[in-house]
Amino acid sequence: LPPGLSQWFPALEVLDVSGTGLAELGAELLALPRLHTLLAKNNRLGGPGSLPKGLGQAPLGRSLRVLNLSGNRFAEVPPALLGLRGLQSLSLGGNRLHGIPPDIQELRSLEFLYLGGNFITSIPPELANLPSLSYLVLCDNKIQSIPPQLAQLHSLRSLSLHNNLLTYLPREILNLVHLEELSLRGNPLVVRFVRDLTYNPPSLQELAGRTVKTRNVPYAPSDLPENLVRYLSLASNCPNPKCGGVYFDSCVRQIKFVDFCGKYRLPLMHYLCSPECSSPCSSASQSSTSQSESDSEDEASVAARRMQKVLLG
Amino acid sequence: EQQPVQTETWKARSLEELIRILHRIFAEDKVSVEEVQELMESYESNPEEWLQYAKFDQYRYTRNLVDSGNGKFNLMILCWGEGHGSSIHDHTDSHCFMKILQGNLKETLFEWPEKKGNGEMTKKSERVLRENQCAYINDSIGLHRVENISHTEPAVSLHLYSPPFDSCNTFDQRTGHKHKVKMTFYSQFGERTVC
Repeated sequence: LPPGLSQWFPALEVLDVSGTGLAELGAELLALPRLHTLLAKNNRLGGPGSLPKGLGQAPLGRSLRVLNLSGNRFAEVPPALLGLRGLQSLSLGGNRLHGIPPDIQELRSLEFLYLGGNFITSIPPELANLPSLSYLVLCDNKIQSIPPQLAQLHSLRSLSLHNNLLTYLPREILNLVHLEELSLRGNPLVVRFVRDLTYNPPSLQELAGRTVKTRNVPYAPSDLPENLVRYLSLASNCPNPKCGGVYFDSCVRQIKFVDFCGKYRLPLMHYLCSPECSSPCSSASQSSTSQSESDSEDEASVAARRMQKVLLG
Repeated sequence: EQQPVQTETWKARSLEELIRILHRIFAEDKVSVEEVQELMESYESNPEEWLQYAKFDQYRYTRNLVDSGNGKFNLMILCWGEGHGSSIHDHTDSHCFMKILQGNLKETLFEWPEKKGNGEMTKKSERVLRENQCAYINDSIGLHRVENISHTEPAVSLHLYSPPFDSCNTFDQRTGHKHKVKMTFYSQFGERTVC
């Protein structure tokens, strides 16, 4: 960037330096107090120092709304941009990212996040802490699983997951109330029931822990070694609402299929406390549970109908 | 130079002229697919002429009606953001011409699923269409999926459907099951349609 940029154009709001071969964006950016849109796609950015230090502290940190760095050579999300608290739209499509830093959650204003066409293998649950995220693109990556926490993205309207390595989805995905678009094609989603044969029976420690929790056996920190007190605090509730049980490390992974009028079957992953515990939550049309279910099944069918519209629309 | 005997060779020098010639062609009883395809390809995309119809949506591709062809055809502009794609769909017994105005679009052709089909749909072929190229499809050729596979460039395409249709079937690639959907316009004649 030419030195003196901010002196010539102090009121600059939109800067497009796409396709100019730039290898770094320098400190000249920091002195542009009105800049809200920066487009720098198809350049040679990605090495250390591609973005100026102190990006978050500059006036830019509050004014920048749109940042497009697609088609560059970033191997990681540049930490410098995580200070852009006002950023609403970020594109790092077509780079060389291998992961997403948990600190992505610092981009509190983010609504639009495009990460398609990278080498991302997993998604940090912290991504779910972006309260305004409405458009999330993760297509054309190497993602093997979606963390269930992603269902906490209440504002999500569009989720692009096509061309990844997903074999199933977390059951919680049905909770995305505002989801209108969901792309899943080009994933090796299982289509037939796969019985998980690698259920490891719970250890004695786990069985004891379960008993303490489900029977509400009282204990004080002075009663137990510190590591066991901590262990007991990590109990997870069995997602089956009919089962009051808890589990620690040992759970059954079970894929249940939600059937949408026989036209689209989604494999959803359930974690249950034991093979005998059967969750009614997935059975939009499965008949494995009795007819006496009430709220949980209604909720499930509403969620299923909503997802059906998203998938078939 | 000898002109071809049965079909004319048109050159559309602007979008307006393209539409004028299309009206003339479709006023006849018989229309030649090759003639229309060549005409569409002859128009050299000029963004100034179609920018008013190119309304993008953040979340998915848009369909923007340009001309309703006296009921004989629909001419529309589709806007595809980065990564936007369509489902696999049919064309309700109509002719479909698709010309790239900007960027590139990948077209994947599929065989019709077996009647009792319950397996992965068969891909026939795929290609990337470049600016100003014009593709043609109808139900006897097969089904297709169209996608903007670029992560950096949006794409714009010009579509002609004859006769016009407002519903089609979408297909699940993994099972071949189909589902009828209604198609809507994001804008008509340059005006945003409020649903």
